[in-house]
Amino acid sequence: MNRTLAVARMQLVNKQTFIWVPLLIIAGAFVVSWLIYFIITSAMGDAPARGQGFNGASQAALWYFLVIGVQAMSLTFPFSQAMSVTRRTFYLGTGLLAAGTGAVLATLYTLLAVPELATGGWGVGSYMFAVPWVTDGAWYEGWLFFFAVTLLVFVLGFWVATIYKRFGSAVLTTLLMGLALAIVALIALVTWQGWWGNVGAWFAAQTPLTMALWMLALTVALGISSYGTLRRATP
Amino acid sequence: MSPVIEVAHLTKRYRETVAVDDVSFVVEKDTIYGLLGRNGAGKTTIMSILTAQNFATSGEVRVFGESPYENAHVLSRMCFVRESQKYPDDATAAHALRIARLFYPNWDQDLADRLVEDFQLPLTRRIKKLSRGQLSAVGVIIGLASRAEITFFDEPYLGLDAVARQLFYDRLIADYSEHPRTIVLSSHLIDEVAALLGHVIVVDRGRVLLDESAEELRERATTVLGDTATVDRFLSGRDVIHRESLGRVTSATVLGALSPLERRELADAGLELAAVPLQQLVVRLTLHAADTETREVVR
Repeated sequence: MNRTLAVARMQLVNKQTFIWVPLLIIAGAFVVSWLIYFIITSAMGDAPARGQGFNGASQAALWYFLVIGVQAMSLTFPFSQAMSVTRRTFYLGTGLLAAGTGAVLATLYTLLAVPELATGGWGVGSYMFAVPWVTDGAWYEGWLFFFAVTLLVFVLGFWVATIYKRFGSAVLTTLLMGLALAIVALIALVTWQGWWGNVGAWFAAQTPLTMALWMLALTVALGISSYGTLRRATP
Repeated sequence: MSPVIEVAHLTKRYRETVAVDDVSFVVEKDTIYGLLGRNGAGKTTIMSILTAQNFATSGEVRVFGESPYENAHVLSRMCFVRESQKYPDDATAAHALRIARLFYPNWDQDLADRLVEDFQLPLTRRIKKLSRGQLSAVGVIIGLASRAEITFFDEPYLGLDAVARQLFYDRLIADYSEHPRTIVLSSHLIDEVAALLGHVIVVDRGRVLLDESAEELRERATTVLGDTATVDRFLSGRDVIHRESLGRVTSATVLGALSPLERRELADAGLELAAVPLQQLVVRLTLHAADTETREVVR
């Protein structure tokens, strides 16, 4: 356990990667979207309502987590090997850190949604954290949704990087192409069978909570698959 | 003696090349080993497999009597910073040393601090911006300060200037005498490290050419120098690994220890005897092995 925590600290030792850059991205996205809504509000003479006011800026930080997921594997794994860490310990420590970061981000979003709603979108109808639908239910449903999205994005990056590290770019590209083709085939199937109505109904029936659980299930599947690949990866 | 590493019939095959070919050897406790050989001889691959960073195609590796793969108990007692070590993105040398401190139970921070000063390593610059020599210094400092029971140094001197290299050898030997441990030093600068080594393993094209204590090695070969006819008479029936003539004078290197009687006879015949420097011996043996192999292939 000691070494697992040490792996998490190893990933964190450069505070810039895990703390300052994500905060900077969130702050930057917030400021830019606030300015845009400030212009809209001054032009319309009134702040847009929440439905129209959701600005999508909250996803900005997610892309960065994809990058961190890749780097946690491609750059920190070789160093962990020099630190005589087993692949299992590296995996658990990194997973622990990813979960921790997801929890912090989810908490931050959940907390910031409160003043956002109270001020009518920071005075200009700019909604970044009180995402419509996601945060409409109980607070923990939204929290779990943010947590699951962050973790999923991180694991996706990590999963891609493990395959790259072990099998190289040719195999990775082939696999991603194969996945794209499988999705196209699925779309074809749904279209030809006339199942779009059912698919739409299924999505409509989901709540933020059930969506979060689906994403966590996918995260676990990708996580297990990554571990299988990592066990035979070389730095 | 108690072996800390046992390697039996280790083979590593890549798609088209055999990097390590049926290698067997043991490493005894608290000795400095030289893993010598040309670039691409398989030194790094062997060390990677010993530390479970890489995987054997076949054969067996035991460290402290156990398989090192996914074995935290065994791995935490070893340190192997490779020559082309990757570091986390944007990490500085200070970061790397702080992390190493977390993982190595015997880490000596005072030693690390002293070495940073010795090597004039800039702590706050990003590792990817360091010079080749400074990059090597990061690995050397981690290796020495980790005080791991088995420490591997993989061509640790790349990019270091002569002063820094000497500094490394001095610090290594000083710390080793205070804290004896097993050290495996891979190198192709054989003369520079010869004085440090207690045992020598020479690999060439994935095979072990030589596995002997430094003491045995010193007696392993002799160079005789003198009149060509006299030298040739002495050479008959011996394993000659090198011979060169200049006018009527010939110098030849032969394998096998000489008895005191033989030495006296040679001196009486007017031949000069000289010890063979380790580097010479390794070069001669390596070329000799290549030569023998070619002849076998031709045959």
